[in-house]
Amino acid sequence: MLVTWKYRPRNTFIQSLDPRTRLILLACITLALTVPEIWDYRIIFPLFILSLTLYLMARIEWKDVRRAFIFIFILVFFIVGLNGLLSGRGGPSSVLDPNSPILFNVPFMIPGTDWGWMVPVTVSKAWFAINQMTRMISMAILAIPIPYTMDPNIYGTAFKRMGASDKVSFTMDLAFRFLPTFARDLTITIDAQRARGYEMDKLKGGLVARIRRLAPLVIPVTMQSTVTGEEVVDAMDLRAFGTAPRTWLKDLKYAPRDYFIIGLGVAIFITCCVLKWGFGIGGFFVPDFFTNALVG
Amino acid sequence: MNDKTTWEFGTRQVVYGAIGAALYGVFSWATNIFPLPAAGNITFRPAVAVLIFFGAAYGPWVGLLAGVIGNTLGDALSGWGFFWNWSLGNGLMGMVPGLIMASLNDFKARPQIMKAIGWGTLGIVVGMLFASLTEMFTGGIDLNTALVGYFTPAVIGNVIVTAILLPILMIAFAGVAARRGR
Repeated sequence: MLVTWKYRPRNTFIQSLDPRTRLILLACITLALTVPEIWDYRIIFPLFILSLTLYLMARIEWKDVRRAFIFIFILVFFIVGLNGLLSGRGGPSSVLDPNSPILFNVPFMIPGTDWGWMVPVTVSKAWFAINQMTRMISMAILAIPIPYTMDPNIYGTAFKRMGASDKVSFTMDLAFRFLPTFARDLTITIDAQRARGYEMDKLKGGLVARIRRLAPLVIPVTMQSTVTGEEVVDAMDLRAFGTAPRTWLKDLKYAPRDYFIIGLGVAIFITCCVLKWGFGIGGFFVPDFFTNALVG
Repeated sequence: MNDKTTWEFGTRQVVYGAIGAALYGVFSWATNIFPLPAAGNITFRPAVAVLIFFGAAYGPWVGLLAGVIGNTLGDALSGWGFFWNWSLGNGLMGMVPGLIMASLNDFKARPQIMKAIGWGTLGIVVGMLFASLTEMFTGGIDLNTALVGYFTPAVIGNVIVTAILLPILMIAFAGVAARRGR
């Protein structure tokens, strides 16, 4: 059985946009931040404000997105933030500037011994962690509303109208449709295994044992999906899929507001590329106000 | 390896490409919280075994689509953004084991499982090497960082996951296929 995200039609500006417009804008902002490797807060923070504004304009109820946000906040703050703060990895090499003032050292010692090492947390790493988190949230809050505000029936049409072939459009369409189904199956499987005494949070043993103990979650969901796939293949074959070019029931037309939003997205992407590659603006640096605030 | 069945792109490939992508996306999203040591933006992904399995079971196009679309979906869901070179690298990782799809007919047989693990490992090396080396141009890293900081931990983690989970997936699939009769 296919389930869908909690899509609901809402009378909002975001939902009045063509789905292609929203996908193009998402691609433009994501590419603007990642392709020219933007790490400058003067660019990242305005894009964060833009993403946040667009997210709030979608008017999605908190109860619908609470779980997604909890997961993203855990990932961003506790995994990415701490990783950036301690290791400084995941960004440009200038984050690991040896001349950056050290705020404090975090000891990593082998329990019961005095062996270990001290990991310095520098001003540079702290600023990088803030930038990395803001950068990730800027992209995430643009992507999160899509399943809640875009009609699942027009995913395929949108990709087809963006120039993809029928088969690739159908693949994308089906992938988006299957995603919530499998996410639900995974949740059900986790609950079912927990009812049998499986403790996901207390995976004991080494790396190999931990991976092996993921099998009770991975195998049922994967095998069920292969069975589902046969049913879908049969249904599509019965409708003669792939024997001739397809027509698409839904038609999409750009409105003036779509051209404006696409233009905005393309302008952001081009501006970021020109600033970085043309003027050398957009790389990582620690602003003086941040250094002064932390070390005086 | 170049027969029609291997490179066919019909309804089955469309559907299983989509299913593989969705599964890879969901499992990647669920396991993106385990960063590999020594690599800040590389994560420990048990989902890689599922990707290799889909490539080996349904062919190179399915592996390619599942890897490219699945990695994009998993990264987007986790808020990582879009990294075209890593998505394409994941696609290659699924595509290479798909080249032996036509020669796999008994998913319970030990030699065929070993063969799938071997080609899966080759796919991991090819895919991660592509992604790591292109990171030199997209991320501005040097060759040493690409090989030591990105390629090596990614390959080690993915090969371990594949060697453990792929045999279990193949044996389970043999049972499902036998019950289904095709």
